[in-house]
Amino acid sequence: MQNRNLTADDHFKELAEAVVEMDEERAVAAAHASLESGIDAYDAIQQGLSAGMERAGQLFEEEEYFIPELLMCSDAMYAGLEVLKPHLKKTAGSRGTVVIGVIEGDTHDIGKNMVRIMFETGGFNVIDLGRDVPPQRFVDTAIDSNADIIALSTLMTTTMDGMGTVVRLLNEADIRQGIKVMVGGGPISPGFAKRIGADGYAVNAAEAVKVARELVAI
Amino acid sequence: MSSTSPKDRLLDTLAKKRVDRPPVICTGGMMNSAIVDVMTKTGHTLPEAHFEAGRMADLAAGIHHETGFENLGIPFCMTVEAEVLGSEVDFGSLACEPKIARELFPSVKSVVYRDISSMLQVGRISQVARAAELLALRHPDQPVIGSLTGPVSTAASLVEPLQFLKELRKERESAHRVLEYVSNFLIGFARVLVDSGATVICIGDPTATGEILGPRMFDEYAVTYLNKVIDGIHATGVPVLVHICGEMKAVKPSIPLLHSDAISADAFVNLKLLKQEYSQLTTMGNLSTILLESGDPEKVIHRTETLLREGIDIISPACGLSTSTSLDTIRAMTDTVKEA
Repeated sequence: MQNRNLTADDHFKELAEAVVEMDEERAVAAAHASLESGIDAYDAIQQGLSAGMERAGQLFEEEEYFIPELLMCSDAMYAGLEVLKPHLKKTAGSRGTVVIGVIEGDTHDIGKNMVRIMFETGGFNVIDLGRDVPPQRFVDTAIDSNADIIALSTLMTTTMDGMGTVVRLLNEADIRQGIKVMVGGGPISPGFAKRIGADGYAVNAAEAVKVARELVAI
Repeated sequence: MSSTSPKDRLLDTLAKKRVDRPPVICTGGMMNSAIVDVMTKTGHTLPEAHFEAGRMADLAAGIHHETGFENLGIPFCMTVEAEVLGSEVDFGSLACEPKIARELFPSVKSVVYRDISSMLQVGRISQVARAAELLALRHPDQPVIGSLTGPVSTAASLVEPLQFLKELRKERESAHRVLEYVSNFLIGFARVLVDSGATVICIGDPTATGEILGPRMFDEYAVTYLNKVIDGIHATGVPVLVHICGEMKAVKPSIPLLHSDAISADAFVNLKLLKQEYSQLTTMGNLSTILLESGDPEKVIHRTETLLREGIDIISPACGLSTSTSLDTIRAMTDTVKEA
């Protein structure tokens, strides 16, 4: 990849492929190579790494990739990102701030972590509250950080009630208008999302980013 | 009134013998029905009943009595195994089940292997075993179901789960070694329960789903180690139920490869079609826990009747019950099966 004859597109393609192929070392090498060729770091991230992650998300939706593969793709993406980040001339304009977490009572955070990764790679600023989070903390954090979206995840039917509580707390605090709520996770259905008054539902991590983009575009 | 005891009915069903009607059960463990209603009514409460055999047996008996489920199911959590293996457990509260607060190891490569027979002496294992003994003694006609956390989920409770999932691909040798270790421990735990009087063992393995692992790794890890544990339990002469969480589509061809005596599935799996495709399977499930929680007994009756009509072999909730589920809906479910 030291070849000076490579076009910018070649570099983007190599970065994207390294991500899709789950190859951290290749992503690091491709990131260095693109910098050496004078490619703008921001473009390398957007058109290379993020494009690769988007493709990985697609493969996930097509059930070609599953959680372990998607996690390894994101590792490759972050490895490349580490190299490129210090060379960013401007901070990339964020699409919005998302407060994300798993509702209190549930420590299953695989799904939530996937969604966080997809949000981050999709250009959102993400505040991750982790797992087992009380409803009030989502609301407090969203207010403090001036967030656009609260994203709630649960894998257990036993903790679904907490999602409704978050919406209720937002209503009570009279800040419901400014903050969109999206929900997802194993037992959650679009019908349930509607019932508790959530603005969006996503069936998986790849779709979550699309839904979030639509929510903040409105 | 039928003359068959609930214990015989379940055992006959699992042995593929003819029965008068399907059993209606709730296994305990991941799929326990220690709902708030039962606890307030009986005074036997969590988290106390997680720790002491007498309380555990009393709560299990209370659940059986109040809900009408035709079994006794213990324990009420999925953390007995991880606690013994060394991870940090948060025992929750009355309405909130215990969970892993922190996994012990950051990677499959850093796991320190301990002696299994000495591990079987510690933690809550002896209390769960004693509870099984008390229940078997007090309820000779009822099946006592001992619930086990499956090998993949137990391993993901010992090693940080995201790292663990990646290492299933990246560090296969170490990952297999951890699963081998965890499986041997689970067989040991199950045998303690069987020796104490458990009639049936149920394995719930929520990390081992087709949605999370995909078909290749489901076969390589979930099928391999579930079967290892099942075979180890079968050697004691006791039947095994396996619950597969989530959407089954991606791994459906692997389901008949499991050695279990029945397959339990989540609500969105069409058990009727699964049965049509693989007639050898004994099916269990799968009344939506969302439906049960929503509190409409009429709908629950209707859905239960559908499951009966479709010939589902064992009627059971499809997943873990919300602790705020009402007794009315559960009763609607169990009564409908018993009247069939």
